[in-house]
Order: sequence, then C-alpha cells, then structure tokens
Amino acid sequence: MTDYNSESSDPTKGVKRTNMGEDGTKDSKRIKTANGDEKYNPYLAHQYEDSSSQQNGFKSPLDQLERHNTTALQMSQAEDGERNPWTGEPHSQQYFKILQSRRDLPVHKQRQEFLDTYHSTQILVFVGETGSGKTTQIPQYVLFDELPFQTGKLIACTQPRRVAAMSVAQRVANELDVKLGEEVGYSIRFENKTGPKTMLKYMTDGQLLREAMHDHDMTRYSCIILDEAHERTLATDILMALLKQIAARRKDLKIIVMSATLDAQKFQSYFYNAPLLAVPGRTHPVEIFYTPEPERDYVEASVRTVLQIHATEPEGDILLFLTGEEEIEDACRRISLEVDDMIRESDAGPMRVYPLYGTLPPAQQQRIFDKAPEPLRKGGRPGRKCIVSTNIAETSLTIDGIVYVVDPGFSKQKIYNPRSRVESLLVSPISKASAQQRAGRAGRTRPGKCFRLYTEKAFKKELIEQTYPEILRSNLANTVLELKKLGVEDLVHFDLMDPPAPETMMRALEELNYLACLDDDGELTKLGSLASEFPLDPAVAVMLISSPEFYCSNEMLSITSLLSVPSIWIRPNNARKRADEMKAQFAHPDGDHLTLLNAYHAFKGAEQQGTDMKQWCHEHFLSFRHLSSADNVRAQLKRIMETHDIELISTPFQDKNYYINIRRALLAGFFMQVAMREGSNSKVYKTVKDDQLVMIHPSTVVTSPYDWVVYNEFVLTTKQYVRTVTNIRPEWLLEIAPIYYDVDSFEKGEIKSALSRVTEKVRRRQAIKGSGH
Amino acid sequence: MDTPAGSTVDVDVNVDADADDDYDEIPLQHKRPFGSGLHRKTVAFVPASASDGCLNSTDHVNTAAKPKQLDVADLYLSMVLSKDNKTANEAVQVGETGAAICEVCRLPLESEPAPAGSSDVDDGNSSSSKKDGGKVHENSFAHQVCLPHSYPPSALDRSRMGLSYLSQYGWDPDSRKGLGAAEQGITFPVKATPKYNNLGVGIHVPKNLPPPREKKERLLDAGKVRKQARKDKRKAERIHQQLFGNQDLEKYLGPGALG
Repeated sequence: MTDYNSESSDPTKGVKRTNMGEDGTKDSKRIKTANGDEKYNPYLAHQYEDSSSQQNGFKSPLDQLERHNTTALQMSQAEDGERNPWTGEPHSQQYFKILQSRRDLPVHKQRQEFLDTYHSTQILVFVGETGSGKTTQIPQYVLFDELPFQTGKLIACTQPRRVAAMSVAQRVANELDVKLGEEVGYSIRFENKTGPKTMLKYMTDGQLLREAMHDHDMTRYSCIILDEAHERTLATDILMALLKQIAARRKDLKIIVMSATLDAQKFQSYFYNAPLLAVPGRTHPVEIFYTPEPERDYVEASVRTVLQIHATEPEGDILLFLTGEEEIEDACRRISLEVDDMIRESDAGPMRVYPLYGTLPPAQQQRIFDKAPEPLRKGGRPGRKCIVSTNIAETSLTIDGIVYVVDPGFSKQKIYNPRSRVESLLVSPISKASAQQRAGRAGRTRPGKCFRLYTEKAFKKELIEQTYPEILRSNLANTVLELKKLGVEDLVHFDLMDPPAPETMMRALEELNYLACLDDDGELTKLGSLASEFPLDPAVAVMLISSPEFYCSNEMLSITSLLSVPSIWIRPNNARKRADEMKAQFAHPDGDHLTLLNAYHAFKGAEQQGTDMKQWCHEHFLSFRHLSSADNVRAQLKRIMETHDIELISTPFQDKNYYINIRRALLAGFFMQVAMREGSNSKVYKTVKDDQLVMIHPSTVVTSPYDWVVYNEFVLTTKQYVRTVTNIRPEWLLEIAPIYYDVDSFEKGEIKSALSRVTEKVRRRQAIKGSGH
Repeated sequence: MDTPAGSTVDVDVNVDADADDDYDEIPLQHKRPFGSGLHRKTVAFVPASASDGCLNSTDHVNTAAKPKQLDVADLYLSMVLSKDNKTANEAVQVGETGAAICEVCRLPLESEPAPAGSSDVDDGNSSSSKKDGGKVHENSFAHQVCLPHSYPPSALDRSRMGLSYLSQYGWDPDSRKGLGAAEQGITFPVKATPKYNNLGVGIHVPKNLPPPREKKERLLDAGKVRKQARKDKRKAERIHQQLFGNQDLEKYLGPGALG
C-alpha cells in the first residue's frame, strides 16, 4: 500500500509508461494492492497534504501526476481545487454544483476500479446503462489519466448521432468548466468545433472514420472511446474492425468500447477477451405483461392500452413505442381525443400526449421533458404525460418519470436488398434484446410495468434474438470506398463483428466500378480517391466532381447540399393547399431537382435584399432550419472543392442550355437511378437494370408524363415510389455512362429495345453529320 | 416460353420447335427442381456401380459379377462418392459381438435382416458376406442421408466484377461460406418483408388467402336515397320504442314522464 501511494505522488518518478501491454506483471501486482486502497487512508494523510499544498499555488495539480498511473483520489483532489486544473482559471460557482451531482452518478463509485482496469489493459469493454453517466464521465476519467498535455495526443469519444455528440460535448465542457470548442470540442459532418487546445473530442463515429482515411493509424489519439457500441451502427462496426487492426500495430493506443446492454460478452470475445467492467444502472424491477391472444391491430391496441393505463393505474408517465411519424401523430391525436372524453365522463386526470421522432423540430422534441400536468383541481386525480415515440427512446434518450411502457413489438428498420438495389424503411418485428431494452425504460425512477401487445409464445418464438446490425442492412458502396481509402484491400477477411453478405459486398464493388471509383481490378482510381474526400455518397460525390464538365458546378453544389439535408418543403396538415401553391411558384416543369434549385436561389435572393428570412420562409412554406443548414453544407463542400481544385463555374442564367446542363450533370452521378415509363399511357415506371415497378412520388412538381426520369431516392411505403425526379433524355445516358448503358449487357425487354432504338438514332444522326462534312 | 401452363409437350414442340433453339420441352410443372430432394434422387443413383441401366433395382448390384463399363453415371459417382465409399468401407468397426457400426451414419451394420424399407431388395442375399452386407447398408436410406454430399454451384453470375474481386482474396462462391476473418459471415442478404397491415406480432395471414375484396362505391339515385331515409327513420323509431316504451321505466318515472 505504501509503495502504491508513494509511487503515485512522487513527482521525480515521472517515467512515462506508454506501453502497458508489455508491463503486465507490475500492473497486476499494483492492482492487488490497490483494491483495498480506494478510500482515504488516514495514515497517509501527510502525503495527501503534500499534493494539496502544491495545488494552492499556480501550479496545476496535474503536473504531479504520472500518466497511466493515477488514482481516483488524486483526480478528486484535482477536481476539488479552487482553480481549474486544465486552464488555471478559478472555478465558477456552477462548477461545484455540477461536481456534486457528478459524484452521485453510479459510475463514480467505480472510478478507481475503472482506472485499475484501464491501466492493466489496452482494450476495455465497459457496460453501463443509460443514466449511469458513462458517456459524460468515462471520457473525463480518461482525460485525467491520459494527461494529454504530456503527450500532445487527444482523446476521442464517438457517438452514433450528431445531436448526441453536440449536446454531450456541451455538457462535458460545462462539467470541466471550460468553453466548448477549446479544451472540449466536437466534430460532426459539416461542422467542426474544436481548437488547438482541444484535448477531448466528441465526434460522430462516421467522422472518426473519415479522419482515419488520412491518418491510418489514428496517431492523433492516445485513447479512443466507442460509445453506444450496442447500437452497432455501420460506422461503429467498421471502426471496431479497424481499431482491432490498429491496436495490434500501436500498442500505446487505448480503446474503450462502451455498451448499454448486457450482451457485452460479444464485444468481449471479439476483442480478444478484453476485460469487462460493468456499472449497474439505476434500475428498478419491471413487471412484464403479455396479451393472451395476438392483437389484430397493434395501433388500435396500443391506444386502448394507454387509455386503460390512464384509467386504472396509479401515477406515472407512459411511453408508447410506435413505428413512424404518421402513425405516431395519428395515435397522439386519437389518445388526446379519447382522454378528453374520459375526463368529461369519468373524472380522469389530465394527460398530455407528446410525439417523438427524429424529424421533429428540436423545440418540439424538448417538450417531452416537460413535467406532467397538475391535477385538474385540488385533490383531483393526478395528471400524467404520455410520450409516443419511435425507437429513438429505446436506448439513446432517457426520459425520467416513465413508469409504464407499451410495446407493440414493431419498429421501422432500414433494409437493403442488393439484388434490386433498393434501400427501404420497413416496419418489422423487433428483437428480443430490443424488447427487453424497451421494458427497461419503465424502471428508471421506480418499479414499473411493461405491457407487450403480443403473446409470450410470440415473444419466445417470433422475435429474433438480436436486431440485425446496420452493416447487414445497408448499401455498402460508401463503406467500401472508405475502406479502400483506408488501405483495407482484403475485404473478404476484414475482421468485422458481423460480416455482410457476399452479394452486398459484390454489389457495392460493382457500383463503385460503374462510377469509375474503382477500376476493373478493384483498385482505387484517382476519381475514387477524390470522391472519398467528400462526406457524401459516392454517386453524389462523383456527380459533384464531374460537374465542371457540364459547366454548372455552382448549381450542382447547391443541389447536392439541398439533397443532403432533410426536405426543405413544409406541408402542414392544415394548410396543404396553400403550401402546394407556394411550391408551385418555384416549380420547374422539368423536375424536382431544378425546383429545389429555384427555391434555393429565391432564398438567397431574398436574403441579399435583407428580408427577414424566418418570416420569408414561413410565408413560402419552406424550412428555414433546413435551408440554413443546406447553406452551411454548401459552404463546407465548397471548401473541399476548392482545396481539390475543382472549378466552380456557371453559365449565364439566360443560356438556353442552363437547365439542360444541370440535368445532364445529374446523370453523371445518378445514372444508376433512372426509370423508364412503362407504356405510353401508364403512370408506372420501371427502374433500369433493377426492374422495379415504381410510381413518381405525389410530392413531385412534374406534371407531364416524361418517358425517362432520374430519381434521387427510392421510397417504399404502401407503394413503391421514386422521389425527387427530373426529366432526362435517353441519348444522354448513352453518352454520359456508356459502360453502364451498353445495350448488349441488358436483358431482353422494353428498356433494351428503347435503348437500341436510341442508339440507332444517334448513330444515324452522326452519320448524317459525318456525310455533311 | 409463353406457352400456357396446361399445354402438353408435343403441342409445345410443334408450335415452338424452330422458334427458339434452346427451348425446353418439359413443361414447368413436370420439371424436377435441381438440387432438391436428396433422399429420393441421390439414393436412386448410388447403386449404379453395376450399371446395367436398371437404376431402380438394387438386385443387380448384388447379382452382377462385375461392372462392365464405365458410363457417365459411374464417372459422376466416382467423382462424388468414391472417397466416401472408401471411407465408409474402411470405417467399418467390428465390435466384439461381430455387430459392426458404420461410421458415417452411426448405425449398426446388419448382415442378415435388411432394413424394413429395402427388404425386397435383400431377399436373395440373406446370407451374403460382410462386404455385401456393407453394400446393402450403404444403399440404405439412413446411410445415404448421412453421406456428405456436394451442393449445386452458387447461382451468382461468374462474370461479375465484384465476384472476381472477392475470389481474388480467396472467397469461393460455391463454398457456402460468408465473409469475415473465419468466413463466418452470413451467406445471403437479410431478407426484407414489407408489412402492409396493422396485424400484431404473432398473427400470420395464410399465404393462399384471396385478397380482400375492395368495397365498391355505390351510386345512389333519388329512389335509393328515399328508401335509405325510410329505413333509417324506422330504425330510429324502433330504438325510441325500445327505450321509452319500457314498462318498467314507466313504472318508476310515471306515465307522464315519457312521451
């Protein structure tokens, strides 16, 4: 024990030990002694005195610490100091208040245990439920141990979602009493808020992956924390495989994989049986109920269940899981109406119903944290709130006060079919793991209840064990391009936790091949390398890169930005007609891409005249938020284009080819997303090569039935739709993408014969031209 | 190709014989699915080591002295099964009591009574030697099922660029393996099944259910409207009667209360 303490407080012994793996024996010995030594030891008080006296000076207490050999006690002392150990500034009042609440978090009790394990290993798996404080605290514990000013290396903590990265970074900056963007920063797609002083960086997993493309060994970082690994996003999966490789090369890099669910053994065995540390969450028992019979209509049943709970169960908020925006809004309306009746008829308490889904504006999302309403009169029945949410409330978001969970057993999932190349969002049954996660939401504040709208037998037999990770459900074109850029050649034996199906991988390779990002041998081309610099889909990136050839790179830049943000059109239920009229003002008869561009130009024009843009957008039924973010995206993309010397050009607006150029330039990237009309009177189109029958989405401005259209996305709802379409000419296809539109490679059918006719026409026209000369 | 499903073979040939060279004469419903039904089809092939052309009867196997010629079936079998036959023969373990156990299917090798399924086969050979008994056993259903068998090749288009890239790194499309460090990944993409209804988890619609009939909107003329109105009125009167013509109610409320 003595040895342990003197070692850590002796400033002369500041030997940097970067390589923990080779020094295993010493570490294990130290941990044994450390176990009994987590608390304050009065016999060693003089030593503590020592370090705290230095703290009162201007010297930071952190200077005394030895990297990878700190204790929880030392850190607490550093945190308790009057001055901020990182900046030297005096602590603010608020700081100590937050510090107190931080010390109450479940994870704090295991700080020493965490450090001991962290010191002993290169890779660590950490399990803690949401609310345990792992996302905010663990990176700080690491920060106090890594002491970045000694090595000049950063700590990265990845998040699956942009919003989480931003909000957590802000929170941690407050906790450390520093300014966001200085010591603590964040980096997300199209936004980087870090500075030269940054030590701790929250970022989306995709962003870290992009950084790795230029820094294959991630040399900027001394520790990488993968948070919310249980969500198994595409980028997290790739990062895990990549870090596994890097960890073998860079023994000084530490990796922490954090997961919220207890199936962490899978992570453990994947990372060579890395030690696992679990922090119990603050959870209470949850009683689970099933229906005796399967339900005929799960939406109907869930509405009824919510009302039953409201009528019969004691105080406590309700969380209902449904699948999509429309369904949620509909259920909210129905519940509100029914509750009004209940209040009138049977003196029920008031209930406020809040929807929650990804595309909801942030202000409205915030409303779910409002308190439940007061009883209608004094002594009346208590009020409650009911949140109707997609599965974003399953793991990522914690709402306190939830006591009842209603789980119909469905969620919307993205699924990619490599044969038809269709990526669609489909309602499908959830997994057992996800059902348990949902039930767990009921036990956050006190013992709760979970009502499952299916039978126990169905739970056991129908639900799969685990949700399929995103990598098995996605188009991998972007991923493969990134991997190629990352120097991963062997895509067959790349050690992914769940490798995708070979067909999906093949399709991705072929798509990149058609886009000329990979050559026929699968080697990255110059174009592919350039395309990977853009945080965009390969097709979009290629479109942007080749736009100068069509003399419209400025316009394509705008269109690309508009396509990378959520829809800018607003169509409120109560003003659909007026919204459509407004949209018609911007409409270009040739298509939606051009209409988007018109709206953007109008937006910029109004902005330059000094109009109140929020008002202007409101009047024109446009989303100010999304237009501004498109503007921001545009600026970022423009910078990338400039650094890579891609010319920014436009033809004058009066040029008769102005719009034609744009339509042609669209094809340079989207030539694989083209559909031809079936028959001359039909409204049905058939996608080229994939042979999917589709209709044009009703949101389109296109009125005349064009024979050939290029589309931005494929939407599968009750019908198959293509959304955001623009009219094109088949001759362009042959000219712009001759390899893909090699008529001989097509299967027999209408599209083939149409293309052969066009080929013939073009050939004849050229012959005439030739003879004319 | 476009012949109706019910048409017969010769009609097809007459109509389409010179229209399309690679036209398949067997109507679809008579075609045997390739690669399916291991039990039935492969079993019929195995005893052909005596190839007299009579593939169905295993009598020939035992009565024929020697195989005369090598035909295609033999060649196929020697490629597919020769190894397994050998190992199966060598793997015969003679127990203490003389009852041997076949290593392939882990069943005792019976020499006298043949398995029930092939009793007619074995009629004349009840006192056959051990080797013959082995052969009978080899022909048995249980043994055949346990034999490792080859799979039909993958249906992937061999000219695909993606395939050539993956095979460059050692992935074999016919290996029935996925990607990954140990090629442990999934072999087929996750299947998507769109859901167009609100049925809860655990309810399954039978596959051959006719699609629900769409309700036709009826156009009403003046007569129909009048008729409907009369019907509604009568219904309302009846309900009124039921509610207010109630004697019990009248008793409590007094005769004047209801009107």
